[in-house]
Amino acid sequence: MNPLELTLGIMTAVGGFVDISELVFAAKAGSTFGYALIWVFAISTIGIIVFSEMSGRVAATAKQPVFNLMRHRLGLKLGLVTLAASVIANLITCAAELGGVALVLNYLTGAPYMLMAVATALAFVLSIWVLPFQWIERTYGLLGLFMIVFAAALIAIHPPWHQIAGGFVPHVPAGLSTKELLKFGYFVVAIVSAVMFPYEVYFYSSGGIEEDWGPKQLLTNRMTAILGMGLGSLLAISILSNSAQLFGPANVDPSLPGTAALEAAIPFGKWGLILALLGMFFAIAGAAVETCLANAYSIAQFFGWIWGRHKKPWEAPRFTITWIVLFALALLIVLTGVDVMVLVEFAILFSILVLPLTYLPLLLLAEDKKYMREYVNGPVSKTLGWFYFGVITLAAVAALPLYFLTSGGNG
Amino acid sequence: MTPDSPIKLVSELLDLPLYDNEGKYCGIVDDVELSGGPGKPLKLKALLVGPGAYAGRMPEWAMKLVKLMAGDRITRVPMEKVRTIGTAVHLECPGRALGLYKSETAAGHWIPEGGAL
Repeated sequence: MNPLELTLGIMTAVGGFVDISELVFAAKAGSTFGYALIWVFAISTIGIIVFSEMSGRVAATAKQPVFNLMRHRLGLKLGLVTLAASVIANLITCAAELGGVALVLNYLTGAPYMLMAVATALAFVLSIWVLPFQWIERTYGLLGLFMIVFAAALIAIHPPWHQIAGGFVPHVPAGLSTKELLKFGYFVVAIVSAVMFPYEVYFYSSGGIEEDWGPKQLLTNRMTAILGMGLGSLLAISILSNSAQLFGPANVDPSLPGTAALEAAIPFGKWGLILALLGMFFAIAGAAVETCLANAYSIAQFFGWIWGRHKKPWEAPRFTITWIVLFALALLIVLTGVDVMVLVEFAILFSILVLPLTYLPLLLLAEDKKYMREYVNGPVSKTLGWFYFGVITLAAVAALPLYFLTSGGNG
Repeated sequence: MTPDSPIKLVSELLDLPLYDNEGKYCGIVDDVELSGGPGKPLKLKALLVGPGAYAGRMPEWAMKLVKLMAGDRITRVPMEKVRTIGTAVHLECPGRALGLYKSETAAGHWIPEGGAL
C-alpha cells in the first residue's frame, strides 16, 4: 500500500468533512446542546465511510464513476432530475465555501470581504488549471491538517472526558421543551446532511478514476475511507466539544465561522488563532475545490463528455469550461452580498433532499454482480448501506418541515 | 455479448459508456435506432450518441434545459461498427471516423493550451 494514496482520503475527510457547514453546525451544536449531538456525528461518519468505501470500490471495479452509473440505473429522466438537484445543491455549497474562505481571509488580513472572494475564486481557478489532480489533492489536503489544532485545544482545556464519552451514546437530552426538541431534530438532520454531503461521494469516486484505481487499490480505498473520514470526524467532534466547554456556559452563539477559531485562541493565544484560521482556510478551500470539481464531474459524466483533471485542461475542454463557469457562478452568488450563513443553511437543506437519489443507485450498483463480480457488497456493506439509506430518507422527509418549524434552527 | 446477441435494450444498452478501438471515451448511448415493422423482426440498426437523442426520452421542457447545458448534437453509430456490448460498448474503429468528437473539438478552440503541469 502506497502511503501517498492515503492523501485522497485525508483530503476528502479534512476538506470535505470539516467544511464551512461542518464548522458552523459543530460549533452551534456544542454551544446549544452540549455534548448531546456527538453521537449524530459518529453515526453519520460511519454512514459516509460506508458509502465512500462503496463508491471507491465501484470506481475501482466497474471503472465507472457514480454519475455515469446513476443515469444507467435511474434512467434519463430521473437521472436528469438528480443532476439538476445536485448541481444546485453543490453550487450553493461551493458558494458557501467560497464565501467562507473569503471571510477567513478577511479575518486574517483585514482586506475587504468581496475583494477576497474575487481573489479566492481566481486563485482556485488558477490552482486547478496549473496543478494535476494528485497535487490539488495533496496541497489542500495536507495543509488542511492545521485543523488538528482544534483537537490539541480540546486536550489543553481539560474537558470532562466522561461527558464527551457519554455523547457517543445515542440519546435525546431530557427536559427539552417541544420547541427545543424540534430544534434538536433540525440539528440532527443538518449534521447528517453536512457529514454526508453528496459531493463527497461524487468527488471520492471520480478521484478514484482520476488516480486509475483498480482491484489492487481496494484495501487502500477501505483504509482511506475509514482513516480519512475518522480523522475528519474527530476534528468535527473536537470543535463541538470545545464549543460545549467554552461557548455554551458563556451563552456565546458561534454562528460565524470566525467564532470557532477562538476555540484554539483560548488555550494557545495568538498562534492558536492563526493556526486555526489557517486550518479553516485550507479545509474550506479544499471543500470549495471539491464541490466545484464534483459538480463538473457530475455534469460531464451525465452528458458523456471527456472529463478529469488527470488530463490537461485543453484535453477535456467541455469539462474545463464547466468548472470555470461553476466557479464564476459561485462567485456571482457571493457577490450578490447574500450572507454566508444563509448559503450554509440552503446548502444543508438542498443536499439532504438530494441524498437519497445519490445513494440509491450506488447501493443498487454495488450489489450488481455483473459490474462488481467478486467485489459485490457483502452482508455487512449491504446491511449498513440499506440502514443508512433509511436514515437519509427519513432525514430528507423531515428536513423541510423542521427547517420551517425552527426557522432554520434559529427559532 | 456481441451485437447479434439478444439484448434487453432499456436495462442493458441505453446509457452505457462508449469506447473506441483506441480505448478513448466517446460518450454515452443516448438512444437507439431500430429497423423492422409489423410482421418483421425488430433489429438494432444504430446507436445514437449526443444530447439531441434525448428528445424521444424526455419531455419538451427538459429538452430545453438539456439544450441550454449541452446542446442538441446527435451522432449516429451504425451497429456494424460495434464490437462488443457489456458494462460498456466497445467500437471497432476510432471514434473520430464516426464524427464522435466534434463538440469536444469545437469546445477545445476556447481553451488555451499551456500553463498546466
